[in-house]
Amino acid sequence: MKNKRSFIEELLPRQILEIDACTLCGECLKHCPVQDVTGNPAVSPPEKIRMFREFIRATDGLKARIFGPSEADRKLLEDFVNAVYECTTCGACGQSCTVGIFTQRLWPALRKEMVKRGLGPIGVQANMPKAIRNSGNPYDKPAVDRYKPWFPETVKVAERAAVAYYAGCTGAYEAQPMVIGDVLVLNAIGEPFTMLSPEDEVCCGFPLFISGQHDELKDLITRLVNGYKAKGVTVLVCSCPCCVNIMARDWPLFYGEALPFKIRHITQYVLDAVKKGKLRLSKELHESVIYHDPCYLSRGVGVIEEPRAVLRSIPGIRVLEFERHGLNSQCCGSGGAARKVFHENAIAMGRKTIDEAVAKKANRLILSCPACYAKVNEAMKGHANQIQITDIMELVSGLI
Amino acid sequence: MGKLLILAVYATYAAFWIRFYAHILVWRRAVRQNPQPASAGAPLGGKACALAVRDVLFFRRLIMVNPALWVGEWVFHASFPLVLARHLRFFLNPIPPLVWYLQTPGLIAGYLLPLSLLYILIIRLCTKHEKYASPANIFLLCLVLVISAIGLLMQAQFKPDLVDAKLFIYGIMSFAPAAVPGSVLFMIHFLLVLVLVSFLPTHIVTGPIIMLEARKREQALQLVIHEK
Repeated sequence: MKNKRSFIEELLPRQILEIDACTLCGECLKHCPVQDVTGNPAVSPPEKIRMFREFIRATDGLKARIFGPSEADRKLLEDFVNAVYECTTCGACGQSCTVGIFTQRLWPALRKEMVKRGLGPIGVQANMPKAIRNSGNPYDKPAVDRYKPWFPETVKVAERAAVAYYAGCTGAYEAQPMVIGDVLVLNAIGEPFTMLSPEDEVCCGFPLFISGQHDELKDLITRLVNGYKAKGVTVLVCSCPCCVNIMARDWPLFYGEALPFKIRHITQYVLDAVKKGKLRLSKELHESVIYHDPCYLSRGVGVIEEPRAVLRSIPGIRVLEFERHGLNSQCCGSGGAARKVFHENAIAMGRKTIDEAVAKKANRLILSCPACYAKVNEAMKGHANQIQITDIMELVSGLI
Repeated sequence: MGKLLILAVYATYAAFWIRFYAHILVWRRAVRQNPQPASAGAPLGGKACALAVRDVLFFRRLIMVNPALWVGEWVFHASFPLVLARHLRFFLNPIPPLVWYLQTPGLIAGYLLPLSLLYILIIRLCTKHEKYASPANIFLLCLVLVISAIGLLMQAQFKPDLVDAKLFIYGIMSFAPAAVPGSVLFMIHFLLVLVLVSFLPTHIVTGPIIMLEARKREQALQLVIHEK
């Protein structure tokens, strides 16, 4: 059956202009992590935009208006789907864009259009909605195991509190040293904090959002927001950059109104506690550490200085920087749900991160994202260069 | 021949606006189908506007990522309007003082324009670190290079009869065909300009809007989850 559905239905007006505004200059390719490991310009940002322009022309161009929409070229569509899903959506292309296209938001919107056409998502990404419906998380792990295997017995969680902690699926199931560190530090700060039950703390929606599968989002987000609202929460703290990103940028849109609480990344909350003297890092650490900015934390929500300030508050520490850091940080390969399908790309990108950290003579590679944590650790297996990988809160919790 | 050329000019002119209008229709449809979420837009302030104007005029984003290319692109984009302004003397009667004033800068820009285009093409095609070259962009660069080189040749060596050229342009503007100037170079120059207008990229309109959006977004980034 022919599909002559308009290609602009899922795009914001601004995104239509962005597609038009791309000059196809190709500067973004020098910053694209997928290009770094594949060297294939066919999956590059300007090629994606060029292809999508062809699709818009087919269904909404002048000829389509006069003679009716035509079907987009099948081969071009296949190439496009591959290119848009191979992308890690890190947004480095947008940061280096000579016009300033917000690609970190554009690629997910184009993926959504592919999902609506039945062409996306690809591979195991397609299983996520069912897994989340089934168990509340994209890994389809039992909800009962969300906290139980790792939650420290010494940490007390309040039934109701102004502060709530959201562990997140990847942290809880795939990067447990990170969430252990989170709750130990929150406990050490001394302010009571609450959490949803393991059955109620469902996926934040990010994996669905980023892969273009939006159908479940409103229900998931409403359930979570109402859960925290019922507990009297005014600040929701989370350590996962992807969760924080969707909470801050998209939860209000899907919830339909402003959230009844603020969203804070854990490094913001901890830095505030350090400044107010609620948290003292008494132990010294005479090491050089290098901090990797997660794409959805730096480019996504602008949390750049806080993790560094937390690290600098550790006595004796030396904080190194990657060549590309802050807003220009380089993706470690875990982003955009691409790691679930393009595993080899993700491992190669992770190894580049490790290699640079080793070349900079860092003793530790500090991460602050569970996806980065899981994938970079995986990338280090069997790799020539080895370095100690530590989550920022894992590090802090050991120095209290 | 004169009538045919006039027809070609009006067809090109009409095609340009129809193409532009088609883009507006796509955008209008997007506005109707998917209005911008109220909370998603960053506020528009005077500072963002001023900085965006600076970004547009000086290609700030390009200089940050590729200073070598920036030199060529900026000279090209700065000289192009000056050359166009110099050409206004063919369209206006009497010629305003400003157009007279711009004749010398326009002449200098006329020499810089092909040089900058050559420089851009060398950077784009001959340097190893450039990973991507859009065929559409290369075509446009070459087209403008040929147009500007012919323009330069006419200025320096093979001067067409300027009175004939002006009468011809006036004929087009007043729907009263005048004799086609005898210069072959002039005719090639003129026809290639029509080709250029047909392929003029729409980013010259949408690019500055997105640069403004980018500035607003940059300023709003610190408000996403930080204290306002």
